[in-house]
Amino acid sequence: MDSIFDLKNKNIIVTGASSGIGRQCAITFSQLAANIILIARNRERLEETFNRLNKGNHLFISQNITNYDRLEDIINTIREKMGKISGFVHSAGTEMTLPLRSMTSSYYENMFAINVISGFELARIISKKKYLDENGASFVFISSVMGILGQAGKVGYCSSKGALISGAKAMALELAKKNIRVNCILPGVVETEMSNKMFESLPKESKKSVIDMHPLGLGKPNDIAYACAYLLSDAARWITGTNLIIDGGYSAR
Amino acid sequence: MKKREFIDELKDALEIEDKDQEITLETNLKDLEEYDSLSVLSIIAMIDKNFGKQIPSSDFIKVTTVSSLMELIGKKHFD
Repeated sequence: MDSIFDLKNKNIIVTGASSGIGRQCAITFSQLAANIILIARNRERLEETFNRLNKGNHLFISQNITNYDRLEDIINTIREKMGKISGFVHSAGTEMTLPLRSMTSSYYENMFAINVISGFELARIISKKKYLDENGASFVFISSVMGILGQAGKVGYCSSKGALISGAKAMALELAKKNIRVNCILPGVVETEMSNKMFESLPKESKKSVIDMHPLGLGKPNDIAYACAYLLSDAARWITGTNLIIDGGYSAR
Repeated sequence: MKKREFIDELKDALEIEDKDQEITLETNLKDLEEYDSLSVLSIIAMIDKNFGKQIPSSDFIKVTTVSSLMELIGKKHFD
């Protein structure tokens, strides 16, 4: 039975699809009948995600999306092989915990390149009429609850995730006339390879305090993927320029 | 790296600006008020930058004195 929540006949691009939230998004969308285009740097892990997708017309592209000059070619290839694009989820991202005094300009540049600029560049290209589905599109940027709250040692990460939030709002206003909706999801700490790596770099007592900050405990990748699927579906027709916080109660305090 | 230079880098990472505050090989880092979980991350970044070594923060449990930190990095890196 067709449901307003399914993603049938939608070609959806997911960056950061080789692990964590991006990987789960791709798998969940495929279960909702979407065609998925997976993008990430690590070919091996990308293939692993690809093999876990439900049957459909999917494609994987192993590319470093901070090579901005290559992005239009990628989108062009997708259009040729799959048709026009109706969804884009920017889940590629990197995390760093380091006090301000140890930050360097190159750390910021690297983090903004992956977390922010590559996503905005892809959005710019996908918005072109020649790539865009006639029924419009939905863009979702995976920000973070850290994009609206601060945390010591996270100046780079918080500011890059905050940039996604304000950029998405500006984009929502600009692209509404093209029937493109643009939203952010703000997860709390979700159990992924990235958060595990972060926990490894922290003393044990810090891990406990991070968990304790989430009244419902840490999140699972699907907690984010389901919400993402909703924002991509026609059920979210009237939602744009908004932030959906999914954090197990972290920010309720 | 010379031991003196290392101690200066360490003071930088710990944000100890007082030139007169003496840090020696025998100073116990855990006794310094500047030493906390965030400053450990700064020290890790400093070691990575100067020695190209990524030391996990869990290894810092056994660090006490400056000398023990140098042992963790590897004595061969110091003159």
